[in-house]
Amino acid sequence: MAANEMIQVSNLTKKFGKLTVLDNISTAFRAGEVVSIIGPSGGGKSTFLRCLNLLEVPTSGQILFDGINICDKKTDINLHRQKMGMVFQQFNLFENMNVLRNLTAAPIKIKKTPREEAEQNAFRLLDRVGLRDKAASYPSQLSGGQKQRIAIVRALMMEPEVMLFDEPTSALDPEMIGEVLDVMKALAESGMTMIVVTHEMRFAREVSARTLFLEGGHIEEDKPSHQLFENPESPRLISFLKKVL
Amino acid sequence: MTFFTNAWQTLEKYYPFFLEGVENTLIIAFFSVFFGTLLGILMAMARLSNIKPFKWLATAYIEFFRGTPLMVQLMFIFYGLPMIGVTFPDVPFIENFQRFAAGIVAMSLNSCAYVAEVIRSGIQAVDSGQMEAARSLGFKKSQSMMMVVLPQAIRNILPALGNEFVTVIKESSIVSVIGIADLMYRTNGVKAKNYKTLECLFIAAMIYFVMTFVSSRLIALMERRLRRGRK
Repeated sequence: MAANEMIQVSNLTKKFGKLTVLDNISTAFRAGEVVSIIGPSGGGKSTFLRCLNLLEVPTSGQILFDGINICDKKTDINLHRQKMGMVFQQFNLFENMNVLRNLTAAPIKIKKTPREEAEQNAFRLLDRVGLRDKAASYPSQLSGGQKQRIAIVRALMMEPEVMLFDEPTSALDPEMIGEVLDVMKALAESGMTMIVVTHEMRFAREVSARTLFLEGGHIEEDKPSHQLFENPESPRLISFLKKVL
Repeated sequence: MTFFTNAWQTLEKYYPFFLEGVENTLIIAFFSVFFGTLLGILMAMARLSNIKPFKWLATAYIEFFRGTPLMVQLMFIFYGLPMIGVTFPDVPFIENFQRFAAGIVAMSLNSCAYVAEVIRSGIQAVDSGQMEAARSLGFKKSQSMMMVVLPQAIRNILPALGNEFVTVIKESSIVSVIGIADLMYRTNGVKAKNYKTLECLFIAAMIYFVMTFVSSRLIALMERRLRRGRK
């Protein structure tokens, strides 16, 4: 195993009852890498991502994160989730808290960051996504694009080593997709390790260095993005790209 | 018009009876709601627990108590259990303690099943993404529950819980069958004295209505307070 491999997935299988969603998947993600995962709906993309921070418990196989097997029952998963930020398709901002509390709750309660420091960090990050003036708003008062930018900031507040994005733009109105992708692009440029399940082929192609094509529970193709899009090899990928591009 | 005159005269003459009935009805309802809610919270926790035996027991309990008449449960406890030697102790300085204890226990056990369902559905109505987002940040399950899920569930729970309180006030009239001098029992007593059946029942209905109406207004007020605090 190379020293800079942050996440090492071996023989990951996930079944829901009789249905096999992920079938013996092995791959690895290096620190600083930006990887997109594309593929048809129901192909296992989201399940794969959710296995990485154990929102779904794998049926078999192992996932090493910083060399520690997080599937092991003895591993403190809460500790590892702190290092893996997650952004959801449906934003999932805490509806009962305003934006500032959404951002500071985890650092204050989990990391014991002093409130003042947490709030300073929050405002610094809100500035970066242009939403400082929304600090006192409740999620129900924000647009989808604003919610998703706040959700990204909320995950960043824990200073994670890797960011997982689960179709971050799929629930957005078309005119709001850009503002979220811009934030993600800036994040990628800052050197953050990112794994992005997406339907945004342009993002996959232009921002991520590497793209996985996941279909039927298998990784059908795994290549540098420009190669994958310019010279797709498997017939399934070719037909998928024909439909979406 | 004679109806209202008769009703008024009945009330004038027998109001101490009705008043005592109201007092006992409120005592029964208050303690039943109190213990019913307390037990209901525990029962809901067991029902939602990941520990299988807890879940099964709680589910069986809830189904059973919601699926059998309160009357049967009450008689089972007051008349049935003493047959196998299970009785409530007599407390000398509280009159009729045995009866009251049986009434409150039966009503609490019954109400607890309904409260548990109200709480369970209130919690499950909160979008599962809220829990997932909290867990993904590193919160423990219990922390996620306390900080994120429960504050949102309360808003679903409170109105339904209010209904349950009102129901308990009304249902408590059933304890008259084991000889507790609640409003219904006293109404029957007055009825037997003056033979003014319709008037007596009218008075009882009005008093019950005032009690439930006041309670439901108070609960609505609380709900509004809660909503204002949030948004």
